[in-house]
Amino acid sequence: MSVRHSLLALLSGGPRHGYQLKIEFEASTGGTWPLNIGQVYTTLSRLERDGLVAPGESDEQNRVTYTITPAGREEMELWFATPVVQSDRPRDELVIKLAMAVAARKVDVTAVIHQQRTATMRTLQQLTKAKRAAPEGAAQRLVLDSMIFQAEAEQRWLEHCEAVLKEER
Amino acid sequence: MTVVRLAEVARVHGEGATAVHALKGVSLEVGAGELVAVMGPSGSGKSTLLNVAGGLDRPTSGTVHLGERDLATVRDLAALRRREVGYVFQDLNLITSLTAAENVMLPRELDGVRPRAARKEAMAVLAEIGVTDLADRFPEELSGGQRQRIAIARALVGTRRLLLADEPTGALDTRTGDEILQLLRTRCDAGAAVLLVTHEPRYAAWADRVVFLRDGMITDTTDSSLVSAR
Repeated sequence: MSVRHSLLALLSGGPRHGYQLKIEFEASTGGTWPLNIGQVYTTLSRLERDGLVAPGESDEQNRVTYTITPAGREEMELWFATPVVQSDRPRDELVIKLAMAVAARKVDVTAVIHQQRTATMRTLQQLTKAKRAAPEGAAQRLVLDSMIFQAEAEQRWLEHCEAVLKEER
Repeated sequence: MTVVRLAEVARVHGEGATAVHALKGVSLEVGAGELVAVMGPSGSGKSTLLNVAGGLDRPTSGTVHLGERDLATVRDLAALRRREVGYVFQDLNLITSLTAAENVMLPRELDGVRPRAARKEAMAVLAEIGVTDLADRFPEELSGGQRQRIAIARALVGTRRLLLADEPTGALDTRTGDEILQLLRTRCDAGAAVLLVTHEPRYAAWADRVVFLRDGMITDTTDSSLVSAR
């Protein structure tokens, strides 16, 4: 996951200090990914080492403002131009659980599916509520949309499992 | 306050060996201000459930109450439906030779409301859902999302307490679909009871309670604790 590239993207909008970057990152991602301030400063010093950002003056509170360099801008553009591959995704526990429920034969698979389906629907209800309450902030709403689409995909898959298993019986 | 109550409702189409059991003992209540979504695959009995709840179809056994009234005892169901129940279907059934406002006025005029008053009511509901500017357009001059809004306005006009929606998001894109659900949700928060049938999880998730229907039976349901948390 690229905190590094995210910071470059935020800095491409103008110079900022570490705390500002933390706040903006969290707001844009809908609070789904809290950043440790220490992690922000570590990342900034690595970016500085690699010549992708340059530190400026400290303000009255002793906070250093960072600016993106031309090399940093190039790095960011390369990031945006490169599609994300799904190959190194960790295994999905739910998929394994259902496969095992089917393989074990004596487990009531339909009950497992129903329980999960109800739980996933509750999650989907909460996400929808959060989205309705979300203030005007396109980045934040799009992050919630992404989670909604993922929960929806899981729900659809569960319904598919139920239909397929019903035919097999 | 319960607006519609189904108790042990069964509906059988046909007889003997070819009989189709569309609903097998379904019990369900929808209260004022509550949005309930029914999810299920095709053939699970969703549309039959909606038709029975709205008095478009009668149960083979079991009872349906709209408010205090047992629908089995109502002689003029059509009149009761026009006054109390609004329908939104996937096929919108807007009348092409009438403008948007005239389409919305129609059920009120059928109920004997004079055109001037009906027009006033229609304009009020069009304003409520933010489409006053579409009032004098004909259906073919509207986009799919706009037509669906007009159909919803027609379902809302007057003082209907119960709104029934059968796949109201049909072929709309997800963004327009979300807007339609926002409309239903707002109406619900204003006190209407809404029963929504959908096979799309993302729209069902707008509901206070989601009921899963399989082969004419309710298999599971998300509890309604979200209602009180709202």
